[in-house]
Amino acid sequence: MPEKLTSRNLLNQLQTRHYTNAYTAKMKGQLVGWATSIFPQEFCETMDLTVVYPENHAAAVAAKRGALPLLEQAESEGYSVDLCSYARINLAYMKSQAAEVPIPLPDFILCCNNICNTLIKWYENIATELNIPMILIDVPFNHGYEPTPAAIDYIKSEFEECIRQLETITGRQFNFERFQEVMKLSNENSRAWKRALDLNQAVPAPLNGFELFNYMSQMVCARGRKETGELFKLLIEELEEKISLGKSCYEDGEKCRVMWDGIACWPHIKHNYKALAKSGINIVCSSYPEAWVLLYEPGNMDELARVYSMIGNNTCMEYQADRREGEVRNFKLDGILFHVNRSCKVMAFMQYEQQRLVAARTGVSIMNFDGDQADPRNFAAAQFETRLEALMEIVSQNKSAKKSKEVMNNDPA
Amino acid sequence: MITAGVDIGSTSSKVVVLEDGKKILSKVIIPVGAGSSGPARAFEQSIREVNLSREDIKRVIATGYGRTHFPGADQQITEITCHARGVYELLPGVRTIIDIGGQDAKAIRVGQGGIVSNFIMNDKCAAGTGRFLEVMSRILEINIEDLADLAALAENPASISNTCTVFAESEVISQLSGGTSREDVAAGIVNSVVGRVAGLVKRLGVQSEVVMTGGVCLNWMIIRMMEKELAIPVMASPMAQLTGALGAALFAFESAR
Amino acid sequence: MTQLKELLSTLEHVAKHPAQVINKCLEDKRLMIGCTPEYCPEEIVYAAGMLPVGLWGGATSIRNANQYFPAFACSLVQTTLELGMRGVYDQLAGVIIPAHCDHLKCFGQDWKVAVPQVRFIPLAHPINRKLEAAVEYLKSEYSRIKSVLEEIGGKPISHQDLSEAIEVYNLHRKTLREFTLIARDYCTTITPSVRHNVIKSGYFMDKLEHTQLVNSLIGELKKAPPEEWKGQKVVLTGIMAEPKEILDMFEEYGLAVAADDLAQESRQFRTDVPEGKDPLERLARHWSCMEGCSLLYDPQKNRRFMLKTMAEESRADGVVACIMKFCEMEEFDYPIYKKTLEEAEIPLLYLELDLATPSLEQVRTRIQSFAEMISLKP
Repeated sequence: MPEKLTSRNLLNQLQTRHYTNAYTAKMKGQLVGWATSIFPQEFCETMDLTVVYPENHAAAVAAKRGALPLLEQAESEGYSVDLCSYARINLAYMKSQAAEVPIPLPDFILCCNNICNTLIKWYENIATELNIPMILIDVPFNHGYEPTPAAIDYIKSEFEECIRQLETITGRQFNFERFQEVMKLSNENSRAWKRALDLNQAVPAPLNGFELFNYMSQMVCARGRKETGELFKLLIEELEEKISLGKSCYEDGEKCRVMWDGIACWPHIKHNYKALAKSGINIVCSSYPEAWVLLYEPGNMDELARVYSMIGNNTCMEYQADRREGEVRNFKLDGILFHVNRSCKVMAFMQYEQQRLVAARTGVSIMNFDGDQADPRNFAAAQFETRLEALMEIVSQNKSAKKSKEVMNNDPA
Repeated sequence: MITAGVDIGSTSSKVVVLEDGKKILSKVIIPVGAGSSGPARAFEQSIREVNLSREDIKRVIATGYGRTHFPGADQQITEITCHARGVYELLPGVRTIIDIGGQDAKAIRVGQGGIVSNFIMNDKCAAGTGRFLEVMSRILEINIEDLADLAALAENPASISNTCTVFAESEVISQLSGGTSREDVAAGIVNSVVGRVAGLVKRLGVQSEVVMTGGVCLNWMIIRMMEKELAIPVMASPMAQLTGALGAALFAFESAR
Repeated sequence: MTQLKELLSTLEHVAKHPAQVINKCLEDKRLMIGCTPEYCPEEIVYAAGMLPVGLWGGATSIRNANQYFPAFACSLVQTTLELGMRGVYDQLAGVIIPAHCDHLKCFGQDWKVAVPQVRFIPLAHPINRKLEAAVEYLKSEYSRIKSVLEEIGGKPISHQDLSEAIEVYNLHRKTLREFTLIARDYCTTITPSVRHNVIKSGYFMDKLEHTQLVNSLIGELKKAPPEEWKGQKVVLTGIMAEPKEILDMFEEYGLAVAADDLAQESRQFRTDVPEGKDPLERLARHWSCMEGCSLLYDPQKNRRFMLKTMAEESRADGVVACIMKFCEMEEFDYPIYKKTLEEAEIPLLYLELDLATPSLEQVRTRIQSFAEMISLKP
């Protein structure tokens, strides 16, 4: 009897297929694009374009311990070591194509700065060096709680420009009926992804947070595809089964429920996973995979503009604190582990105030550590382990303080 | 005509006294540098050895990290320009100079007539400098001079990946406490410095012939590893840490003439 | 000649002691609005009858701002926040902070919490600035800022006020352009730091007054024949050429400034606000007209060609990249224009600058070596 297909196996199959398909397309002479990870994929999906995601690729390169030679290559070309390591890996790869998992070079690039403005500079360099067209969808930083009506109009006008540019690049017409279908499918997938993430609110949590980072790849690369829905259907079934059995993802249970704030530390992910498991800390959620939950009414362009503009990194201090506060309550968190990520300025430069705000509102324990999303040199295992121990100590102190308070409150005398 | 070059580094002071821009009358190295009595002592010793006084020296040029604070100098020229001049005198075919100093690492492109045509220095961080080697040697409880000999005995060189000195320090400590041998750690340290400096050279563009100057070039193992990293033969400057002082003395002769 | 000296010393004094000018402003009961890097609609502030004051950080160590920023934020935002937290800007009625880069986005949000006593006036420019919709959007941003300033000032800002302010600013731009052109012929009098101070003083003065002073300066300079310059000349590119010691080093090693491509200097005044009917729309359209800055969307990197042309036209012996440590915007452009300049055989120096921890000795070695290199160049 054939072994039952697990979501993990399916994920691996889909990811492998994603990269091989891109290569096959290139070989056949089809156009291939590179896109930033939260670009409104609805447009290129409608055009049935082959698109790969350099951020996802750089993370994979780093996780397979292949980052260092590319980082050094970028530095030898004059890129500062202070620049985003995803960018350095990708800009070096663009020239040498030296990576275990190859991706084809692009014929056009798609950039949306809802994550950061660093992406714009990075993509400008790709466009310049390869002399290819660049489509930019700029979502102005939301210094208010929400995008202004003028910002929405501007973004919608960029959508129109994007369609026009895609038509020029491909020589094909944009099909609005297909667009409607893609939007519908993308929303279904987003809802399924959110459902899977939310299942981890169960105590004990059925899924280890590092797995979330893996499944997330599918949302990055194929948010508007049918097979993504199948994957999450399978994942949800597995998680629900675990919950009904009351099973934790750790054999000896979870001692501490923590949110991982920021991008994974890919080159050291195995170490991080082991160190956390050893302490009984379960990463039950993260601000990072949440970013790919993109829900809107299909066909409503105002909402489409809004949802792509409201990515966490593109929002103000209050909005971010509200989001984190919600997560602390919904996931019943004991602590938040903040990755002070040297590559990611936009996340790191509001983190300290976020820590104070969230701790003051919820009493959650906070710990941070220095690391980098893809440069293995900016991380110290000894520091990480010490910080985890410290976090556990603070959490247990806070827990016993809470308990004694409860006891006092319940005291009938 | 007698001229002198005084090279004041962060950890040592070097002097070359030259006659008619050709004959080396004396050369002195004192292992303390900028901010100490080293530069003055080295200079005095170098002229005393050949029974000269300050008045006999037509022109003195100071170079190196402490060049602006040497009162006896007629002019200051940077170590970058002086190393190129010194190397050109000794090895006229050299196009690329690598100098690992206490504070800075540099890659220098030598153009026609020994003139610098481009150069690159390390960024602010101490990784890839002599200072980094010094801090790491202290953790291994050895003298910096013995680091390479220890590293040569390595069986499986450790990987010291951190660029930040503080992080690298904890990385080294945890490797040692995790049972990695001192030899393997030493090799890891040397590898890391060579890798960083080789990156600078690559940014400049590797062009044959390549030479290393400064105290670090006495360290045969670093030279071998640099050759491996750059995939090109690397020579050691015959005058090692005196190369810059020689260049300064030559400039002094040329400008006094 | 004495008049020339007086003018220069007045401008230098303003550049070095902005607090005195600001105190005078307080006496006159004129409100002041801080304008942080790199591009703020100063004309609106001016039209409100207020004085726009440039806030470009300063040489100071970080004691407070590290509650908000880790060590890898650029020193421009670090030191500006530090000074704000120390109360240095308490006399300002507000501060406009644009969101050009990731550092500035966070800086604005942090300011709101760290310096609550100085009202935060946010601004987010459109990056897709060649689209007509971008002009419309930016106009709405400017219109919001206009309302905030009307509220602060307690009186409306009319179309005429705005149009007049644009005229004052365009005249100021024209005058500074003229100054930078003439400065290259008087390198002995207009040393790198004098040149910098003449331009920088404009950040703390009424632009009308500054225009007059710089115009007089140009007149005085022209009275003498162009000065012979035996040293070398360089083009400066980047965000800014501070801390101030570095410009003294240029002078010390015989380097004059032939032209600049600095955000704090020429990038502010090389493009005029275009003509048009609606003044807010003219200001918004200005953003679409500017070129050649790392903060302006430029997918073909035309900046590299502008820089090459600038170096050639100003007959510079080299280009100095004044890179603010951790400034990604500039750091990404560098490898691209490096290649262009190398192909044109224009020497290029990478100068890493930091306002908070300047490590001046290393900077000195770089500047001196570069000066030696280009002066010995056959």
